[in-house]
Amino acid sequence: MKRLLPMLMLLSILIAGCCDPLPPATFTSTSRPFPSSDFTPTPIRLVYGLTLAPSGIDPHVNASSELGIPLTSVYDTLVYLNPDTGDFVPGLAEDWDVSEDELVYTFHLREGVTFHDGTPFSAEAVRFNLERITSPDLASQKARFMLGPYERVEVMDEYTVRIHLSEPFAPLLDSLSQVYLGMASPTAVETWGSDYQLHQVGTGPFTFAEYVPQDHLLLRRNPDYAWGPEVYQHETAQVDEIEFRFFVDPATRSPALETGEVDIMGEIPPQDAARLEENDDFRIEAAPIPGVSLMFFLNTTRPPLDDAKVRQALIFATNRQAIVSTIFRDTPPVAYGPLAANTFGYEPEVQDYYAHDPARAASLLDEAGWQDSDGDGVRDKNGEPLVLDMTLMGWGYMPQVGQLLAAQWSTLGIEVNAPSPVSYSEALEIAGEGRHHLIPFNLSGSDPDILRKFFHSQASFNWSKLDDAELDNWLEAAARTSDREGREALYSQIQLRVMNEALVLPIRDYVNLNGVSDRVQGLRFDAQGWFPWLVDVTGAEVQ
Amino acid sequence: MIARYVGRRLFQAAFVLWLAVTLAFVAMQLTPGDPAQALLAASGASKAEIAERRAQLGLDDPVLMQYAHYLWSLARADLGQSWLHGRPVGQMILEQLPATAELAVSATLVGTAAGLALGVLGALRHSTWLDTAATAVTVLGLSTPTYWSGLLAILLFSLELEWFPATGQGDLRHLLLPSLVLGFALSGSIARLVRARVLEVMEEPFVQAARARGLPARRVFLVHVLRPALPTALTIVALQFGFLLGGAVITESVFVRQGLGKLAVEAIIWRDLPVVRGVILFGALAYVLVNLAADLAQAWLNPRLREELA
Repeated sequence: MKRLLPMLMLLSILIAGCCDPLPPATFTSTSRPFPSSDFTPTPIRLVYGLTLAPSGIDPHVNASSELGIPLTSVYDTLVYLNPDTGDFVPGLAEDWDVSEDELVYTFHLREGVTFHDGTPFSAEAVRFNLERITSPDLASQKARFMLGPYERVEVMDEYTVRIHLSEPFAPLLDSLSQVYLGMASPTAVETWGSDYQLHQVGTGPFTFAEYVPQDHLLLRRNPDYAWGPEVYQHETAQVDEIEFRFFVDPATRSPALETGEVDIMGEIPPQDAARLEENDDFRIEAAPIPGVSLMFFLNTTRPPLDDAKVRQALIFATNRQAIVSTIFRDTPPVAYGPLAANTFGYEPEVQDYYAHDPARAASLLDEAGWQDSDGDGVRDKNGEPLVLDMTLMGWGYMPQVGQLLAAQWSTLGIEVNAPSPVSYSEALEIAGEGRHHLIPFNLSGSDPDILRKFFHSQASFNWSKLDDAELDNWLEAAARTSDREGREALYSQIQLRVMNEALVLPIRDYVNLNGVSDRVQGLRFDAQGWFPWLVDVTGAEVQ
Repeated sequence: MIARYVGRRLFQAAFVLWLAVTLAFVAMQLTPGDPAQALLAASGASKAEIAERRAQLGLDDPVLMQYAHYLWSLARADLGQSWLHGRPVGQMILEQLPATAELAVSATLVGTAAGLALGVLGALRHSTWLDTAATAVTVLGLSTPTYWSGLLAILLFSLELEWFPATGQGDLRHLLLPSLVLGFALSGSIARLVRARVLEVMEEPFVQAARARGLPARRVFLVHVLRPALPTALTIVALQFGFLLGGAVITESVFVRQGLGKLAVEAIIWRDLPVVRGVILFGALAYVLVNLAADLAQAWLNPRLREELA
């Protein structure tokens, strides 16, 4: 009996605790008892899910697209690309002019800009950054090569700086508009050395507050930001903190959104996106990514694909719409040419090529001498069966696409041999040596010069194994031509040649399916499609 | 005698380490793919620039020279710089270590507790339905891959019941699900071994003698059965713990935790050789040290071994 009383007391406390009719005495937005002018609102904090733990996040050194998702808001760039107009607009450079021979770009810099650590931004800082990027010791994996035929940088006065090129390079402004060529604080770079990537300092709307590799990255609002480009809709950031976390396994992404662990999640798998759409608490914001569509490169040097008729037959035999519907749930557009439809210089005429036409495919194969003479269901020629080696990588639904292609083609008597998926470096080796018949790839980028990485005879991704001097010339000329119409005309020619020769089998344009909680508004993306302008994101307080 | 035993074990440990680093070197030589290509192909670098980078990384040197250079830097405890991240490998491993160690310790605790309980239960209720049930759970633990049991656990405990956060790390609440999932996977082999060993010991004459002397069943079990059976369990627990210190890549991915496993996989994909070698060396070192400690502990626990050595 002695123990009963304390037990009862404890029980009553528990009951009172769980069934308290009064709201708890904490401050929430709806129950502020004494609103006053000096009341500081609860900081607004968002969690943004990335899909890979980026492999190193120094934008001058590393190459991943993922690093740009947070860091585009930490750094400012000299210029910005307006995704709606395709025009370059002022950033840290207020104005710029290009010499007659297009070898010298002079940038007039904005005054009064300071890095997050208080270092003033000036021409000297631009020189420091460009010399860092191009230094062989830094071993840059991307930024250095985005500068193309860069020769040197020259400081003219405190706020004027020149970039000298050894030959004209049309994509230069596009490169300078990307985070990889963002301006870092020289003081911070010198202080931290090889650990700079853990302590990054830019001039952007958010500061780089904390980074624990493979765990999280925290950005904090920069209250002093007052030099945003015209493409930003807000002067300063609208939320106080954004934490980035990494969700490598696609299956974990939509659960993290649904449990409220994250507010924004990139690259939701299409089947999960369809389910999230039905939930009122979330929406899917699809961001189309410009660049090279997902496509299969057809090896033009390896029989039987050295015969253009066989290559054309493969494209006619493919029902791309079925692939996009089955695997991607109709979220991305079907691709008809090497460039995604939202890329500058896209030639819409490619859409008239190669509509799905199995009969046409069959007659092309017949013409090329491939017929099923022994009645085993597989076409043959001179005793050789029509078997194609397909090299697939494990990501981006490539194995599933390969499987559907094989199924679609088998009804036409084409057999596909696809061993288990290989890693990126192994794919580079196989395709480099030309041991494939077909191999898929896609790559993002806003400038059509990206085609030079795939169709120039000397390119790393020349996986069609083409050696066409005329195409090489066109690609080089297009990279040197800064006049927009001139460039468009050249890229039109290039795309039509690629499809006429049936060098690739395009499948789909890339679309990033972002899952967004309804407490978040204003998610906008830059011209690359990957990089959000976080300055414009607003978030309601968590209730 | 003890000193000689310890000395011999230390020599063996050094040999195992050398073997591990050498195998790591050979394996990465044999895997296809050129690291310089992997780093630069998408950048638009020209073939000449890629070749330049390859030379800069020392990949054009003769294989034996690369191997000698590698051993020499290891001997100086210099793990080098990551080619992908451009940061010191030793530091990158140290950053991932706390998360890996935390999961390894907690999963081992869960696995050991569950394994012991299931094993002992099976042995004590030998050939009853309880034994069958325990064995079924054991087999389930052994044969369920963690990427599946992990997702199931997230579905049940995070999405349905909302008891624990699905992913992340930091506090105990985050640690519990991954520890349960990984611990469950570990418990299978521990339970099987413990059950077999306990059954074996129960047949020993000294147990029969203890029973004949009329000692209470609980005392017979705790002192005469469990004590001699435990060192066997210790060995397998140590083996698994050492293994986990090298990283649990699948569990790390499913629960979105950092850790050495994820670091290693990324490095293998990108052929970031200094990191691959660093993680393998670290994993081997952890494995060897933990097992060394377990062997010494066992020698000390086991009266027969202790006598032999003395």
